[in-house]
Parts: sequence; C-alpha cells; structure tokens
Amino acid sequence: MIEENLNNQDRFLKTVKEAIKASPGGYRKNREELFSRLSQSTIDSRLKKIQNRTRADQLKLLDLLMEQAEPINLRVMPVKNLQSASESIKELILDKNPEWGTVKKVAAWKHPLIDKLSLGDALAKYDIPVYQSELKSTDDLPAGKQMIREQIFESFVGITAADFCIAQTASLVMKSHPNQARAVSLVPSIHVAVIELNQIIENLGEFYFLQKWDPIQKKEGLTNCMTLISGPSKTGDIELIMVHGAHGPCELHLFVITGET
Amino acid sequence: MTTISTEHYKNKAKEAIKDDVLQSALAGLQNRLGPATAAMYKNLPEGDELRYKAHEVRMFALDNLDMLLEQLAQKIRQRGGNVFFARDQKEAVNYCLEITRRRKAKLAVKGKSMVSEEIGLNDALIKDGVKAVETDLGEYIVQLAGEHPSHIIAPAIHKTRNQIGSLFEEKLGISYTNDPPTLTKAARKHLRDAFLTADIGFSGCNLACAETGHITTLSNEGNIRLATTLPKVHVAIMGMERIVASLEDHDALFRLLSRGAAAQNLAGYVSYIGGPALDSEIDGPEEFHLVILDNGRSKILADEEFKEILCCIRCAACLNVCPVYGKIGGHSYGCTYTGPIGAVLTPLMTDIGQSKDLFQGESLCGACQDNCPVNINLPRMLLALRAKTAEGDPRWNIKPSSPVEKFIFSIWSKLISNRKAYDFFFRLARFGQKILPTKNGEIRKLPPPFSGWTLDRDMQQIASKSFIQKWKETQK
Ligand code: SF4
Repeated sequence: MIEENLNNQDRFLKTVKEAIKASPGGYRKNREELFSRLSQSTIDSRLKKIQNRTRADQLKLLDLLMEQAEPINLRVMPVKNLQSASESIKELILDKNPEWGTVKKVAAWKHPLIDKLSLGDALAKYDIPVYQSELKSTDDLPAGKQMIREQIFESFVGITAADFCIAQTASLVMKSHPNQARAVSLVPSIHVAVIELNQIIENLGEFYFLQKWDPIQKKEGLTNCMTLISGPSKTGDIELIMVHGAHGPCELHLFVITGET
Repeated sequence: MTTISTEHYKNKAKEAIKDDVLQSALAGLQNRLGPATAAMYKNLPEGDELRYKAHEVRMFALDNLDMLLEQLAQKIRQRGGNVFFARDQKEAVNYCLEITRRRKAKLAVKGKSMVSEEIGLNDALIKDGVKAVETDLGEYIVQLAGEHPSHIIAPAIHKTRNQIGSLFEEKLGISYTNDPPTLTKAARKHLRDAFLTADIGFSGCNLACAETGHITTLSNEGNIRLATTLPKVHVAIMGMERIVASLEDHDALFRLLSRGAAAQNLAGYVSYIGGPALDSEIDGPEEFHLVILDNGRSKILADEEFKEILCCIRCAACLNVCPVYGKIGGHSYGCTYTGPIGAVLTPLMTDIGQSKDLFQGESLCGACQDNCPVNINLPRMLLALRAKTAEGDPRWNIKPSSPVEKFIFSIWSKLISNRKAYDFFFRLARFGQKILPTKNGEIRKLPPPFSGWTLDRDMQQIASKSFIQKWKETQK
C-alpha cells in the first residue's frame, strides 16, 4: 500500500506543479528558500529580551493574561506558592459537584509541578482518589493505558500543568508527553491547570518565535500533538447564544504560582 | 459534491425569502456576527495591513504548493503517520472506507469538516455499515433533522431554538425546552457515549504547516479534540490548498481566522497534529492518516484568473455580511459551499454553466472582500465568471450565451457609440413606454425579452428630458 501511495503522490504533485507553471504568480522559490529565516543576531537579541524579563515584567504579563482571560471565562487565580495552590485546588474540588454521577474522583498528570502539590494526600481524608496518569514500565502497556483511560473518564476534575501560557490570547499550550494523558484536560467536566509565573509569554508571535528559534524548543519540536487551549469549551450553535461546556470541560481554572514576595 | 442542485437556486431563493423563521435567523446572524467581525479587524494592532499580509502568505503557499505538500507528507510519514493523495472524491472516500473496513469500525465520530461534506463521506460510511455521528453541535442538529449545513461555521443557523427544541424532543426523547444551555447539555450527554466508544475519528484541517509538518484543527466546542484523541484511529482530510509554509504564518492567519469566523481573538482549541501518539504516551490515536484532496483544485490553480480563490480559509465572514446570503440563506445555493465564497468556488469545482445562477445572483456590492480576512477579491471573480458565461470558454467547458442575448448586446453597443442613433432610440422609447402598465409612476412590466427584469421589481420610467437636454436649457 505504501508504494502505491507514493505513486499517487508523484502523479498528484506533478499535476500541482504543472498547474503552478500554467499560472505563475511571482512567489515561486527554490526549495532552500521556502521557509522564513532570521539572522543569528536578530534571534539572539529577541531571545534575550524574552529570557531576561524581570519579575515586574512577568507580573505585567500576568495582568494582561487576567484581562484577556475574563471575557472567555478562563478563571485565573494567582497564588503565592505551591502550598496555597494545593489548598485552593482542594477547596475547589470539595466545593464542586460531579456532572455525571455522584462520586468524586480526580485525574492528574504525572508531572513534577503537579506532584509537588501532593493532592493525593490532601484529599485522602475526604475519600477522593487522585489518579495519576503514569505508565509503569512493568505494566502490560495496552492494559495499563486502558485502566488510566477509564480512570480519567470517571473523574470530574482533571489537573494538568502546561508548557507555556500566552497572555495576549489567554492560551495554555500543551505538547504531548509521556505520562501526561491528553484526555485529562479534555474529558473531565472541570479542568484545573497549574503554571509558574515565568511560563507566561506575551503573544502568539512570540510563541512561534520560541518554537522555531529557541534551541530547547527547537529540539523538542511541536511534538506529535500540541494543543492551545483558550478557555473552557463553548458553542454558539443555537441562535448564536454562547453556552459553556459543549463537549469539553465546562470550567477552566488556571492557578499561577507567583512565588513568595 | 454529493448533492448539488444549484439549478434550483431561483425557486429555493423565492421560498427562502417567504420563510419568516429563516428571515429572522439570518437577520440575527447578519446584525450581530457581521458587524462584530468588522470591528475586530479594526482593533488589530496591525490594522488592515494584516489582511494584505495574510493574502500574500496564502499566495506564496499556492505558488510553492507542490514542494510544501511534499514536505508535509514527508514529515508526517517520519512520525509514523500515513499520507494519501486523492485526485478526486472517489479516491478519497475509497481510502477512508479501506481503513474503516480494515479496522472493522462500527462507529465513527466526526469533527466539523466541510471537505468531508464535499466528498460525501457520511453517506458512504453509512452505506458501508458504519454509523457516522457528527459531533459539532450545529452539525449534529442538522444531521438529526436529516438536512445539510447552511453555513460554513454555524451549520444550523437556519433553525430557531424552538425548532431545535422540538427536534430534540422527538429524536432524543427529552422533554421540550427552548433553552439553549439545556439543549446544549442534552446534546453533550448524548454525544459523550459516542466519543468514549467510537472506533475512528474523522476531522478536517484548517491550515497545515509545511515547515514543521503538522495539520491543525480549530474548534470552540472541543469536539474535534475529542474525536481526534479518544478513538484509536484518526483520519484527517484536507483540501490540498489548506497549507502555509512557515510556522509564524499561523500567527497572522489564526488571529484573522478566529476574528472572521467568530469575532474572537483565537479559537478555543487549536491543535497541531503531526502523527499518531507515541507508544510511551497514554492516549491519542495509534493510527493517523492524512488524506490530501485535489478534486478540481489543481484546475483552479492553473487558471490565473481564479487561483486567488484558493487563498480561502473558510471562515465564513463573507457569508455574514453578504446581502444576498442574508436573504436567501445557505440552502438556496444547493451545494456545500454557500454565500459569496460558494458562488465562486462551486461553479469552478463543478460546472460553471449549470451553476451560473449562483454568481449571477450575487450583488457585486463588495462587502465580502472588505470582510474577508485574507482580502480575496471575490467581486472580481464573480464578474469574471459572468464574462465566461457570456463569451464562452472551452477550458471550462462553457459555450457562449444564447445568440439572442448576444445579438441584443451587439445592437446596444452600436447604439451607445452613435450619439444620433442613441438620442433617436430614447425619443422612441420615451414615447413607447406610455403603453406599458405603471404604478406610482414606475413601470410594472416590461415586454419580452426584458420581462425578467420586472418580475420582482418595478422600473423607473425614462425621464421626459435627458440630462443633456436640461443642461442645454439652463445654459440659455
Ligand atoms: S472568501 Fe474570505 S471571507 Fe469568505 S470564507 Fe473564504 S476566507 Fe472567509
């Protein structure tokens, strides 16, 4: 089948090429010049500008984030440290009721920042299990995946971290990583995300710049699946009236750990 | 396209105009979404410049399309995905059916995708024994009602909440309500099971990125994310022109697309998908397929006059301001792509002669171009299509229009190039019009072959004196 597909491809692309020749538009390039490039000095100076932001700069970005988040119903909660984040999340979980059924269960990523919240311990005395999405190397993979999948389906709150947060569009960026199930930010009715202050960047342009030119990001790439999430799920499909919670989470709470002052 | 019935345009448009329910729904769309989009463009830091830049980015992609698609395919294959190039809808549908058969799929969930409408995927799946569930709320409503979408972004815009309430009462067995949140919740509940148990998920592609080798999907509901995350197989279908070269091209285009489509800064969910999930990942599809579709697009690309239409990112902003769409609604067009974009694209993708009413029906007011996030000159192409039907074009298989029409216009062109003959004609006409029926000083009916002009409107009488005559009199 693969060989056949390649034949298809050649024939297909030949047709496209001939079509382009028939109506030349003046933007035709050589293969090496297809993608935009920047000089190393431009890259360096812009990277420096982003990486050398002061705490005051970051706090300004937080303000921008909060301003942009409000109209799209993304609730941003700045907290001083991990402990108060943990405390607030616990309160939230105790306060909210499950959308489906009555039993409270929580799903969370296996992630250094989330681990430090020790939510499992905090919620144990309320009999609320916190399932971590972690594949053990000893597990039978398909069975392990299936089990975690079911745990996520049963949970009413999903807790994740994020790779970045873009202030201007109030977007959380999540690349796909092992042990960070995509469904945690998707299937439970309430999505709780936790980030640190220095993960906030200014806008979409800056984000793409970093993906393309920051050595660390470049190495990692966009991964097989990267999602930008701006607010909870919503729809306007019935008479253009905005309703939250169409298919994804009905609520999205973002805790930003600002660090002690 | 599966069911095109563009030849019924005039009749359907007449019915639509008489339909009060539809008229109020369309008015809502045009009064709210249309102006909101325009206001959003004004608030962009770059202003209108961004639209011109976006146009350039799209034209750049078209001029280098073969190389960009090759790079996209290569990168996706490197990550373990499959890429299939389909020349027409038949090849695309067959490829999809091969997958569903091999996987013995019973239930498919679909994220909103106009291109899957274009190739008639739903019908093919159902015929093959696969239940295909639309998951975008609007599409779901339309599917429950056994209809087709009437708008690219708001598929069920032609339906009122009362109608949707009755529909849900009948089909989902819930008690009647016309409360949008309650109705949305009912659909959410019904679709949840489908998402959790589906064997395969289908999606479209908003705009791929060649540089990194990813397709992208945009949605607000989260349905596309669900449909492309939970099932074991994900099949994405993209029109071959839906790609840009560099990653940062998405910055301008996504901001514009989200504004044009829904007057927001950025769609709620934007996903970059570049292949199946890794083994070490807990979830995500284990199999990923990308179908890249031509289906008439390369023919458009080869035509200097029309290739610009392939810049379109299907945001539907042109529908929301079009005075014609605003009155006759999407179903009158009788095809997948409606409104100004449909009036250009459908004839080019199907048959210009058969669907000529579509571009002849548009008003050339120019609102579509002003509102288009990528500044496509739709009015120019509407005119070019009209010229093609008048003069004929073997490449597009159009014969010149009727000899009678041609004859009349050749007389007219002689007449207006000869002052004396022109004045004489109008003297005659001024006299002749006295025998025509009038109302409030306007002509009710013209004789054939001009009777079509006064079918739905009255016509001003020719003034008793021409401007030149009056001018001369004042100079005395
Ligand atoms: S023609 Fe322009 S406004 Fe219309 S759908 Fe396409 S991109 Fe949007």
